[in-house]
Amino acid sequence: MTATSAFDTAPEQAARQHWIGVLSRSRRAELLPHEAALRDAEYQLIRAPEIGMALVRGRMGGNGAPFNVGEMSVTRCVVRLADGRTGYSYLAGRDKALAELAALADAHLQGAQQAHWMRELIEPLALAHAERRSQQQAETAATKVDFFTLVRGEN
Amino acid sequence: MSTSLVTASLLQPAFADPVLDSQRSFRAALKALAGPGVAQSLLSAQTPPHLEGLAAASHALCLALLDVDTPLWLAPAFDTQAIRANLTFHCGCPIVSDRQNARFALLDDSQLHDLSGFDLGNDRYPDQSCTLLIQLPSLQGGRQVALRGPGIENQNHVSLPLQEAFWEERDSRNDFPRGIDVFFLAGSELMGLPRSTQVAFKPAVAKGGA
Repeated sequence: MTATSAFDTAPEQAARQHWIGVLSRSRRAELLPHEAALRDAEYQLIRAPEIGMALVRGRMGGNGAPFNVGEMSVTRCVVRLADGRTGYSYLAGRDKALAELAALADAHLQGAQQAHWMRELIEPLALAHAERRSQQQAETAATKVDFFTLVRGEN
Repeated sequence: MSTSLVTASLLQPAFADPVLDSQRSFRAALKALAGPGVAQSLLSAQTPPHLEGLAAASHALCLALLDVDTPLWLAPAFDTQAIRANLTFHCGCPIVSDRQNARFALLDDSQLHDLSGFDLGNDRYPDQSCTLLIQLPSLQGGRQVALRGPGIENQNHVSLPLQEAFWEERDSRNDFPRGIDVFFLAGSELMGLPRSTQVAFKPAVAKGGA
């Protein structure tokens, strides 16, 4: 069910899709500890953080006709480091500071220290997200109702 | 992947304050069209950083007017990678090679002898015409003409540095309500010439208008 599996893409592009996807679901408290390291580079804002809306569409059962679920807030940002690497971010929510950090993370991840950033930042974030997801799924599963019908007797 | 990396390296920031600066530029454009022949200036604080090949006013107006619904036609002089990359990125506007499909066109003064192909709108929707953004070296220094029409009390005298052919071209495409609206841009100044303005050539000596 990952977004990357639907497209036949180059490995480097798939890797970037993965980390941008992880960053887009990250929380403020998870990125803030890395703020000093992320900002420790000269950079300029190509597109200052801005908040907008995106229409979310879905398919009933995953394969029905598409319908509009609703709109969600999205914050996006683009930065460029002094060496020319450009980082993009699209985040759920309205946190501009977080969008800037995520864009910086994307820029750093395209550089020579990719392995370092993957290990320090992306993998823990992905793990935390997977944990939240499985926890929510478990909570949801606990509310599942098995419907059954009693045989109606006439006596 | 490599083309997108090249494009990314050409990107540069646009308006410092995207909302207010584009509103100020839009306001200047409105005033320019409401008072044809009167130059409007944009303050340097509200114009975007320099983009190679574009005057400050041209750049500001592009950022204020263009969006995903307004296909843009670029004259060869403006068809550079940097301009394409930045306008596509910041405005999201499609860039078309066919004049007929453009809602805005960015021209320099070498293109003004031929305005064929631009959409003039139709009688039901004259507003769907193509608007020309014409970048000039200056808004002065040409033959003086007198402008009359809506938004002008008596006459406005302008001396735009334009070839005679431009006025003929404009005249031949003006079939009210169909026609072309024009912005002239030089440095941080802009001047409007809507389709409703009538142009009369004046002898060289004339009382200064405006």
